[in-house]
Amino acid sequence: MKSNDEQIRNAISEQAGEWFVAHEAGPMDARDSAALAAWFRASPVHIEEFLGVSLVARDLKDARSDPEYSLEAILARANAGEDRDRAVQALRPHVIRAVRDISSRRWLPATAVMAAVTVLSVGLLFTANLRTPGHPGAPAGVATLHLETRHGEQLTQRLADNSVLHLNTDSAVSVRYSQSERLVTLLSGEVAFEVAHEGNRAFRVQTGSADIIDIGTQFDVRLERGSTVVTVVEGRVAVGPQNSSANHTGRSIELTANQQVRVADGEWPAATVAVDAERTTSWLSRQIAFDDEPLERVAAEYNRYTSKPIEIATPALRTLRISGVFATDDTDAFIAFLRTLKGVRVEATETRILVSGD
Amino acid sequence: MAAAEPKPSLVERLFADHGGALRTFFLRRIRAKADAADLAQEVYLRMLRVSDQEAIRNPVHYLYTVANNLVKEHAVLERRQASGIDIDEAPADEQLETLPAFDGDLDTAKRVLRLGTVLQQLRPKCRAAVELRFTHDLTYREIAMHLGVSPQMAKKYVAQGLSHCRRRMAQLG
Repeated sequence: MKSNDEQIRNAISEQAGEWFVAHEAGPMDARDSAALAAWFRASPVHIEEFLGVSLVARDLKDARSDPEYSLEAILARANAGEDRDRAVQALRPHVIRAVRDISSRRWLPATAVMAAVTVLSVGLLFTANLRTPGHPGAPAGVATLHLETRHGEQLTQRLADNSVLHLNTDSAVSVRYSQSERLVTLLSGEVAFEVAHEGNRAFRVQTGSADIIDIGTQFDVRLERGSTVVTVVEGRVAVGPQNSSANHTGRSIELTANQQVRVADGEWPAATVAVDAERTTSWLSRQIAFDDEPLERVAAEYNRYTSKPIEIATPALRTLRISGVFATDDTDAFIAFLRTLKGVRVEATETRILVSGD
Repeated sequence: MAAAEPKPSLVERLFADHGGALRTFFLRRIRAKADAADLAQEVYLRMLRVSDQEAIRNPVHYLYTVANNLVKEHAVLERRQASGIDIDEAPADEQLETLPAFDGDLDTAKRVLRLGTVLQQLRPKCRAAVELRFTHDLTYREIAMHLGVSPQMAKKYVAQGLSHCRRRMAQLG
């Protein structure tokens, strides 16, 4: 059981690791340097973790995880482990709320069917519809799991088949595994999937507008004002309109890595566009990344996570284009960054961050 | 890998300077966590005092310098307290040179061993990326090539590996 403090520490350690790498990978440009300086100034804990990471980096030069540490030996180990390398990314799920399925007949211990990620042990419950008379609608042996995150929360859940779901802020899913199918229904928000391949049991994601069948892969599904945005990180995914059963009909399209499709209600076929999937899923490490995007969009994205939303008071600033990578849970660093922009005035009040021209 | 002895990196210099004072500080900090928070707090306050230009041009270099200076001062102070010597009686330089031989070497060996074990907990590609970076001193581009991933991904692996090791080492301490 991890305390909240520890989760925050972990998050900061991760940022420290990223900054350390950014720094040693080559000269940082002025913008990155400014952002790093702002990050240092945001908290003494940032400094402590950065120094701690620096010490580890020094000591790693002498550390050996195996007596065989030739280049060949290291690469051989990496390749041997590749199949197993589907582990959960270290995320920092905050609190999870147990959601009671009103159709539930009884409660079972979570371990019976689902292996919960250890850090989520609190209050995570699932309900099962067993073969019960008077409940004809429920297929035999189907367990339903509901997962939800609140504003600003994230959650990682490993399922019984070793597939992993990462829920972003304000998201809800229900998961039903049967003998013939693994079905996830995305009710709201955004979820990234790392699917463990099973030859005889498809992994399917349904939303109000789209039907997605995974073909062994990692992908991200986000609900946005009535449409569904599917982005593939790795592998292949078939996407079709709702109730098309995706790849079982000729109506589906197939996406591969770094491809994205937006499925609006009732509109099909949808066009595939090329994207940087790593950027789309940067929220997995509690970051949001922008490459030359208007401040308006940056603010909207940032506001998905924060309790202190950004408000752009001067309309002309909405189209101001900015780039950068920001921690979704570090408001101070984000404010510090905004302040480095020319002609931008930032005023932080109790309830919001007001951005205006000066 | 490298035929010539590589120039010591900034981070190596950080922990090599001042008789390993900073390194020792971190060793001690693991035993007494309040110390570490104090150090970070003081570095933090000093960094707030400097002008933007100075810190922004090379924040890491600046951080290391501030941290080192501070630890140097602490070391002098601690020695004075421990021995009851009036610091004004001896020049500061001399004080630094006569700092006790740190038990750092023994602790370092232990810590390096432990790091080896922590490395084994990393996901295979992440572990390989960290090892290629620090054991073999490969560039991120080279690591990416060997692992068949993008340089961005290579950086991500190393960053994740570093933070994992850092957290585990802090917990184990």
